[in-house]
Amino acid sequence: MEQSEVMERVVKILTPWVKDETALGKVSMETNILDDLKVNSARLVDVVIAFEDDFDIEIADEDVDRVNTVGDAVNLISGKL
Amino acid sequence: MSDESVAPDAPVALVTGGGTGIGAACCRRLAGEGFRVAIHYRSSEEKAKKLASELDGAFTVKADLTDPRTLDALIKELKEVAGQVDVLVNNAGYNENAPMLAMKLEQYDAVASVARGTWYLTKLILRRFMLRKGTGRIINISSVVGHTGNPGQVPYTMVKAGLDAFTKSVALELSGRDILINSIAPGFIDTEMTEDLPEEVKEAILAKIPMGRTGNADEIADVVAFLATRGNYINGSVLHVNGGMYGG
Repeated sequence: MEQSEVMERVVKILTPWVKDETALGKVSMETNILDDLKVNSARLVDVVIAFEDDFDIEIADEDVDRVNTVGDAVNLISGKL
Repeated sequence: MSDESVAPDAPVALVTGGGTGIGAACCRRLAGEGFRVAIHYRSSEEKAKKLASELDGAFTVKADLTDPRTLDALIKELKEVAGQVDVLVNNAGYNENAPMLAMKLEQYDAVASVARGTWYLTKLILRRFMLRKGTGRIINISSVVGHTGNPGQVPYTMVKAGLDAFTKSVALELSGRDILINSIAPGFIDTEMTEDLPEEVKEAILAKIPMGRTGNADEIADVVAFLATRGNYINGSVLHVNGGMYGG
């Protein structure tokens, strides 16, 4: 799968949890999921589960700890496909 | 075997320490409610397997709550064998009886490490099953002594009090979800675990029970079954089941 397609799906999955629509409008690989998109940290686990279901992968807790930006998520997922 | 067979896709209940005492009673009661029961054991293999053979749809799983690696493996096994966990009964516990000043650090650690495993197992069950499904019931078996204190059981009373605090905190963290977590704090229940209490302690406890008798494991299992199947507006609570000994 092309990275751009992964990125597109990651952003689509993140969208329901995003609190800052403006940041979402200019989302990039460098966009921070918690700080920029204002996703509630308590709901991050729901995002990760959605990643797992959508891409049919399993993400370990240690991997989640390394995900800060949209790019981190895209790279993590791409590495598991 | 129960009267009616359990459907292959029936909800799954995991009962830790399910081979003996209150845990075994919970397994029987939940199987009677139509659950496929995963009977967890660490050392009571024979009893757990015998119980599983008597309960339709039940199966055994082995793990050491003090060893996170075995809990990771347990989750993998549950995924493969059952595919889901709808109800978690955190029943397994460990006790060391000794006066505070005679208690060794190793004894404290042995009691506390099981509580740590309960926390970790609950985290895994939430992460791998209940959050994905969006529903679940977690029932922690604590103890009245976590509220009243008990001489000779300082570490045990500490972890049981902590388990009730765990219940309240997790309920708050899970707000907005159909995942409910509650504690049941049994009073003095006749089990193998309570047989070891000194006679004078038993007599002192009996004198404090208005109903004038000890409880039995089925009376705890009844409440577990209620929370697992019907208590849909009870969350973050501690239910005291002790014959009137302590009301909270």
